[in-house]
Amino acid sequence: MNAKASPAEIFSRFLPLTSLLLIIIVWQFAATGGYFGKSLPSPVAVVNQFVDMLAEPVGKTILGGHIWASMRRVLTAFAVAVLIGIPMGLLMGWNKKAEAIIKPIFEIFRPIPPIAWIPLAILWFGIEETPKVFICFIGAFIPAVMNAYTGIRFTDPLLLDAARSQGANLRQLFKEVAVPSALPAIFAGLQNGLSLCWMCVLAAEMVGAEEGVGYLILRGMDMSNPAMIITGMLIIGAVGALIAVGLRYVERWVCPWKREISM
Amino acid sequence: MEARNIDVKSEISCQHLYKSFPGMDGNVTEVLKDVNLSVAKNEFLVILGPGQCGKTTLLNIMAGLDSSDSGEILLNDVPVSGPNPNLGLVFQRMALMPWKTVMGNVSMGLKFRGVSKKEREEKARYFINLVGLSGFEKSYPYQLSGGMKQRVGIARAYCSDPEVLLMDEPFGALDAQTRYMMEEEILRIWEKAKRTVVFVTNNIEEAIYLGDRIVLLSRCPATVKAVYPIDLARPRQFTDSRFLEVRQKIADNTDLAL
Repeated sequence: MNAKASPAEIFSRFLPLTSLLLIIIVWQFAATGGYFGKSLPSPVAVVNQFVDMLAEPVGKTILGGHIWASMRRVLTAFAVAVLIGIPMGLLMGWNKKAEAIIKPIFEIFRPIPPIAWIPLAILWFGIEETPKVFICFIGAFIPAVMNAYTGIRFTDPLLLDAARSQGANLRQLFKEVAVPSALPAIFAGLQNGLSLCWMCVLAAEMVGAEEGVGYLILRGMDMSNPAMIITGMLIIGAVGALIAVGLRYVERWVCPWKREISM
Repeated sequence: MEARNIDVKSEISCQHLYKSFPGMDGNVTEVLKDVNLSVAKNEFLVILGPGQCGKTTLLNIMAGLDSSDSGEILLNDVPVSGPNPNLGLVFQRMALMPWKTVMGNVSMGLKFRGVSKKEREEKARYFINLVGLSGFEKSYPYQLSGGMKQRVGIARAYCSDPEVLLMDEPFGALDAQTRYMMEEEILRIWEKAKRTVVFVTNNIEEAIYLGDRIVLLSRCPATVKAVYPIDLARPRQFTDSRFLEVRQKIADNTDLAL
């Protein structure tokens, strides 16, 4: 940051890069050493595969098309989950009756992994887009509800008292105190939900799809092309990370008072 | 000493307040036992009592946030039955909304009452200035020091224009240096914008430094043990011999750790 960084500081700044580099070197040696036969491509082969797929279609579309196909499913499901889940969680956290009604149902469905819904989803919705979006929806819906709920429940009673002493009515307590104080928890839920969504879409696509990153990975296996599999895996990681970073920016914009913590 | 207050109309008073809480072992803990006190208009009354003696409970009841088991609070002869814009509360733990700026925190009471943005910001700006925070209107609480946060708390209580300010150990969470400074500050603010103040503390020096009158509470269950009018001229000096005399007199009557 300042001009006179000590050698130790410079060294520690390069440490993450060093470890990445080390992994790639070890990977390269492992690949060329032939310990895994042909099933471990070298980093160079993966990069080549990636560049190929940018222009050359795999199945119906090129790499960008596959990423977009998965993204579209995730974003649709995520939007629906947020629009239904957050109001539901807020209601459940604020209203004792709503809590009594919704919570037991929720406690039953909560521990079921979203992926366990795949067979039913296929029976109900066929093999087109709907079941994939549905699985992703389940993945995002549960953390959206749970975090909005706990966020509201953990509103500091002191702040509620302070607002009450300032003359807030129930509606104002909810809008001006409970909801803003739940926002950080809600955002944590969205982060969780989005990464779960992203995992679910891969699982759903692996069961049957004609495009998407999950399809790419499966196609790579069918074609005995491990470079394609690894490219798909790395893309999953990269897109997931980008989504998380994007959401963090949104949070920083919506919750500027938390800036110091989330930095 | 009582004569002094008889002809002055009492603004807020507690009449035979009782309060108990169910304890963890099933027993009932009596917190307030027949608490009576009355505060004159524009008086600076300090309630002095040991820790955990029910001072906060008493103040919460006075503020209408909690209810007593029996007895009542009269504000201008009208019983208090809930939060009231005429009662402003300052909390020990500041209780500022982290998501609101200084301006937002100070003007929140007016917002709740539907005052227009322009009008409430104008008013808030006056009180922000009064507590010495001009220029910090757009800061969030996390950007402020403890003393500054409590200035916001005081400005917020003032901004709803209450007749009575209830302060619950407002400087209890501050370091000693800041605390001395804030004790001077609260008197400066009060001299400029006189209100009836009920100030709770467990600090005997703070009580004598600030109060027109000190109400000494007993240990749990709290009841009024003694009332001391303090007729020392302000600004008071902690080392003044008459200050120390009063301190000795009160200390002899308490089981506060001194």
